[in-house]
Amino acid sequence: MYELRAVEKKFPGVKALKSVDFSISRGEIVGLVGENGAGKSTLMKVIYGAYQPDGGEILIDGKPVRFSGPRDAMERGIGMVFQEQSLITNLSVMENIFLGYEDQFSRFGVVNWKAMAKAARKQLAKVKLDIDPRTVTSSLSFAQRQLLELAKVLTLEERVQGHLVVLLDEPTSVLAEEEVKLLFKLVRELTTRASFIFVSHRMDEVMELSDRIYVMKDGHVVDVVSRGAATPEAIQHKMVGRHVDREYYREQKQRPYDPTKPLVELSDVSLPGRVRDISLTLHAGEVLCLVGTEGSGREAILRTIYGMYAPTKGVLKIKGKTVSRLTTQDAVERGVGYVPRERKIEGIVTGMNVYENMTLSQMPRYARMGWLDVANERALARKWIGKLAIKASSEYADCGNLSGGNQQKVVLAKWRSGGSDIMLLDHPTRGLDIGAKEDVYDMIREMCDDGVGVVLVADTLEEAIGLSHTIVVIKDGEIQKRFDCVPGSKPTLYDLLHYMI
Amino acid sequence: MDIQRLKPHLPWITLLILVAIVGTADPSFLKPANLLSLAGDIVPLFIMALGLTFAIYIGGIDLSAQSMANMITVVASVYLAPLGIWVAALCILAGLTLGTISGYLTTRMYVPSFISTLAVGGVCFSVAQWLSGNRALNMDATQRNETFGWMIGRTGIVPHELFIALGLLAICLILERRTILGRALKAVGAGELAAAASGLNVARYKILAFAISGALAAVAGLLFSVKLSGGAPTIANGFLLPAIVAVLVGGTPLTGGVGGVLNTAIGTLIVAVIRASMLYFGIAATQQQMVFGLVLIVAIALTIDRSKLRTVK
Repeated sequence: MYELRAVEKKFPGVKALKSVDFSISRGEIVGLVGENGAGKSTLMKVIYGAYQPDGGEILIDGKPVRFSGPRDAMERGIGMVFQEQSLITNLSVMENIFLGYEDQFSRFGVVNWKAMAKAARKQLAKVKLDIDPRTVTSSLSFAQRQLLELAKVLTLEERVQGHLVVLLDEPTSVLAEEEVKLLFKLVRELTTRASFIFVSHRMDEVMELSDRIYVMKDGHVVDVVSRGAATPEAIQHKMVGRHVDREYYREQKQRPYDPTKPLVELSDVSLPGRVRDISLTLHAGEVLCLVGTEGSGREAILRTIYGMYAPTKGVLKIKGKTVSRLTTQDAVERGVGYVPRERKIEGIVTGMNVYENMTLSQMPRYARMGWLDVANERALARKWIGKLAIKASSEYADCGNLSGGNQQKVVLAKWRSGGSDIMLLDHPTRGLDIGAKEDVYDMIREMCDDGVGVVLVADTLEEAIGLSHTIVVIKDGEIQKRFDCVPGSKPTLYDLLHYMI
Repeated sequence: MDIQRLKPHLPWITLLILVAIVGTADPSFLKPANLLSLAGDIVPLFIMALGLTFAIYIGGIDLSAQSMANMITVVASVYLAPLGIWVAALCILAGLTLGTISGYLTTRMYVPSFISTLAVGGVCFSVAQWLSGNRALNMDATQRNETFGWMIGRTGIVPHELFIALGLLAICLILERRTILGRALKAVGAGELAAAASGLNVARYKILAFAISGALAAVAGLLFSVKLSGGAPTIANGFLLPAIVAVLVGGTPLTGGVGGVLNTAIGTLIVAVIRASMLYFGIAATQQQMVFGLVLIVAIALTIDRSKLRTVK
């Protein structure tokens, strides 16, 4: 009924979708799985009209169509239930349901609230949500909001001709187990009204709900699995697929760390929110990888060590000294460096040049009485441009104009040149091409040889396994398991997944 | 030619074009003595704009500058007799303190700077009214000449205000280009989150920017009151809009991070020429703010970095 044929999507430097074929028939539930960066979200955006494909065709009931945007796709019956909820929390339930489509209830611009409430009740009944449509959305639970999102999409049923296709993007990530069961039951019942595309990284859920599963990797659909035709492990294997070369992650350069030199010690640290009772130790020369799903608390732990979040409980020691009320300034002073995930927003200052970025965290070292020694700064920048082979026209180049890999090198140089020996790396290879990734891996190994301790949140599980000395698996803010990763006897992907999900 | 590459040069090109237009209409405008006295007249406004540059450079705004200058004219007139030259220190200290309060409200209490400075400005205005009894005050002419006469004299055809302006510009330029403070302010303006993630004490630098803005508004007020030999709670009204225009047409956008004090110097000259041209073209003083309002809107529309804005409220 809805079909993609040989769809391609390019972005500067990457081919996000390579000749993807996809189809969904009436009343079907189709799962979509893949690692980070496999092309799942790009594919979804093409499906609901946020991206226009560069090649290939979109067909509805066999006829080619072209969407100018999500609203256009909605008019053809394609609806999206967002993971980041798209509801406006200070509006009432019914206002949210009919947001942008109030005309049907209004005369001369005055809304007939009674009529809207009546219509809203009908929509809420579809998803079995028994609430007053006048309720303010902020007072609903997350699960209720999720259902409300679904109800909002299902209003399409009355508005458009033909059958609906509804995308569910990670709908279960904020739900409790019971709520997930209810949602699944509902989705199955709703197949009389719509087809569903279900995206999740929880393999068990995808397998339970879907009639067919599309497995994506590196922008391709590598396989389509029918219900019951494969085990979770087999699908996992297809997702990861690629033969992972040990040299790719520089495993041969992995040296044992120094267990007598603890750099960071967390004991029973809890944070506001759901991270609790975290105990771990980072040693000199160690790569400690925090593994878990999105929102499991990995980033919060990094930010705590960097002084951006304050623990509500527990003790944080840096280089043997207990620190209370750590500020980021203290953390930097004590040798902590932070490479944030949002490179362009938190990593580099766009609009400042290479040397200005490199000395940003250590200006007092390049100044006397507040007076900057620019010649010295430039010399530093030139040295690191050479050392890390940063592709920049000169130290005066605006960092905003460098490629992602070179920006990341500038960020790493900023901390390394300042002598940071506790490095917090959050997705350091995100969005980089293979060559740049390998450069980052080399740098991580070199740092370890210099006695630096690295806390890593990796982009993929393979990367985590390949790079780390120690893996700590976190789920819902709690440590599930600790793995030692000695080269040759590293845990497998499936070992980790077992504790993650 | 690429518009993005042309953009940094627009301010001085605009200035030259404006000077050429007015100069063609009235060649006597181009006489050095006329140009210098024109520049001398705008110095109090320039000093205020110089301070505002710091607030705008970090992506904020200081709406208290005009009320601050008003208040300082009153403070200077009232306390010149008892304090003598020390009244200058009192004025600058008052500016620094009130600027620091604005900065504190903005960074620690999360009050947006346009509101916090507006509120502090309201306080300044009220203090000025209360202290002056809501009337115009005069300085004792001989004492003014003895204490601050050096500020407003002339050497040859060069007004002394210009030396003050150049001195302050030089200090601010060095501060901006050669010190940790200046670099930190640039980082905060261009990428506040990255600055914070590099371990900079962002709040402290922001407070300093507002303090500098307050102090320079106070200097502007002091110079103005010396020039007029008196003060009143509304005497500097009409400064704020041209001062903001000077910063923005100079090339420091409301979003911050680029431009700087040298740009403001050029921007102020543009304002001076626009003002002078309005005289030549017979636009009444009462209509001048209309022109500045229009220029301000055009300047914001041209300079603002839309990629930094998600929504505008």
